[in-house]
Amino acid sequence: MIWSVAVSLLALMALSLPVGIVLFLLGIGVAEFYSSFPLLRGLGQMVWSSSASSTLIAIPLFVLLGEILVRGGVASRTYTALDKWLSWLPGGLIHANIATATMFSATSGSSVATAATVSTVALPQGESLGYDPRLFTGAIAAGGTLGILIPPSINLIIYGFLTETSIPQLFLAGLLPGLMMALAFILVTVGLCMMWPILGGPSRRFGWAERFRGLVHLVPILLLFGVVIGSIYAGWATPTESAAIGVLMAIGIATFFGDGLNVLAISEALHGTIRITSMIMLVIVAAYFLNFAMASAGMGRKLGQMIVGSGLSPFGTLLLVIALYIVLGFFIETLSLMVATIPIVVPIMAELGYDKVWFGILLIVLIEMALITPPVGLNLFVVQGTRKSGSMKDVIVGVMPYVAVMLLMIVALILLPNIALWLPSVL
Amino acid sequence: MRANRAVALLLGATLLLTVLFIVTDVVLRKIGRGALGGSNEISSYVMAAVASWGLSCALTERAHVRIDFVRQKLARRGQSIMDMLAMVVTNGVVLLVAVQCWPVLEKTILRGSTANTPLETPLWIPQGIWFGGWLWFALTSTALTLIGLYYLLSGHTKDFDATLGMGSELEI
Repeated sequence: MIWSVAVSLLALMALSLPVGIVLFLLGIGVAEFYSSFPLLRGLGQMVWSSSASSTLIAIPLFVLLGEILVRGGVASRTYTALDKWLSWLPGGLIHANIATATMFSATSGSSVATAATVSTVALPQGESLGYDPRLFTGAIAAGGTLGILIPPSINLIIYGFLTETSIPQLFLAGLLPGLMMALAFILVTVGLCMMWPILGGPSRRFGWAERFRGLVHLVPILLLFGVVIGSIYAGWATPTESAAIGVLMAIGIATFFGDGLNVLAISEALHGTIRITSMIMLVIVAAYFLNFAMASAGMGRKLGQMIVGSGLSPFGTLLLVIALYIVLGFFIETLSLMVATIPIVVPIMAELGYDKVWFGILLIVLIEMALITPPVGLNLFVVQGTRKSGSMKDVIVGVMPYVAVMLLMIVALILLPNIALWLPSVL
Repeated sequence: MRANRAVALLLGATLLLTVLFIVTDVVLRKIGRGALGGSNEISSYVMAAVASWGLSCALTERAHVRIDFVRQKLARRGQSIMDMLAMVVTNGVVLLVAVQCWPVLEKTILRGSTANTPLETPLWIPQGIWFGGWLWFALTSTALTLIGLYYLLSGHTKDFDATLGMGSELEI
């Protein structure tokens, strides 16, 4: 059953059917052919119970938060401020690219909007200061992926929802690996630019007075991040409640520290939020039904038998799963990759005794990699899309050092699971 | 489809109201003045409305994700055929799901079910809104299938691509 589901999944996706529809079809197929109960009767109930969810409403709220910050002009101001603080490092502006992308995708969760905004602000400056376009654009594309690991991450909410794993625990687990990767990105950039100074631009120093003036634009964002994450960790608020607080704070920040919000900006932000949310929800609702159909058709038992029968050790299976994600990540859009494979892969890993929180973090790093590996890497397209000239190859070459960091992070997570599990265990 | 844009804005405005409601609830709880209560429940109903009525908005704007690594290798004619196929299959599945959603609402109405919460919300209200969204999604996708077929058969290639072609996230 697993194999026929997996093969049909890939075949139907290759036909370019919408991913949510593919998952519905698979669920209906499993319900009709592999179950002795009339599972299809449960379809409506599954659709209702997965959409009427006070957990999932955190998704549109976090998307809205990001949309408001970006459309309110907060992102570009943050970039300028971060530039003043980080440009003295070898690699100059590139660090501002990474840091801005990290901060924004972390507060919102929409990595596409972030990458687009940062490249619009950063690219003209990079060109006029004579940066090598490859590393410069690569850093924006790679930095944008960090937001799906650093909480509040929409992807972690989806993972938690579909696998019944605690979302605050996942948020705690993602924090350390996310920050480590941001730091590693910066170190790699420094290293590369010290070896080949031609890659970076002029290293510029700004006076402390100027830096502190820039803080006006950094502190509100850091405060927003602190309140949203802090209130979840401290147990004061659920992820949904903290998202709602975050939206109000974002409106305040955009009004008082950004370009302000007019009716057009607000309606654009709302419209974008609904479109992105609905796109995500069709996939989630369908995956939820597929999950239900596969579980009711007795998949857990069959999976166990399959693994015992295959003679593969748990570690061997893990390596196989990782290899699978890396290969699929070349071709399949990331959200779909994640949601479509969770019903198949996570039960296998749980059955083998791997921690679901830990595996979630590992999965997210793999998904981040898929965002920037060609030929289908969304962030590559986004950054290239905002460039006026040059070829996609530049961006692809530019992300390679960062892909290497991600591979190292995967190895580190396997060797030292505590990178992810330590924070959830002490708090 | 202007109607769908209006629907999206209405949903967005509802979302903003929900934000205010949730925050008020949290603040009241923190300062120990009791709470409005039910913010969890209300927000779940809002989510159900967004996740049904928003679907057709995403459909008309071609925002539902499709994987195009095979499609992009084809000639234009082949791409149009794949777009049409995707739309027809989508239409079929959406109709099926919408039909399967009806019994949920039907049972609620027959039994007069209320939510098992302090609010005792009569469930037909949120479920009615939710089912309406799926019905609208089914209507929209049927309309799009017919429009697409017309454009395809009458050779309006540009209009066809604008209606059913591959949307791009770059347009966001």
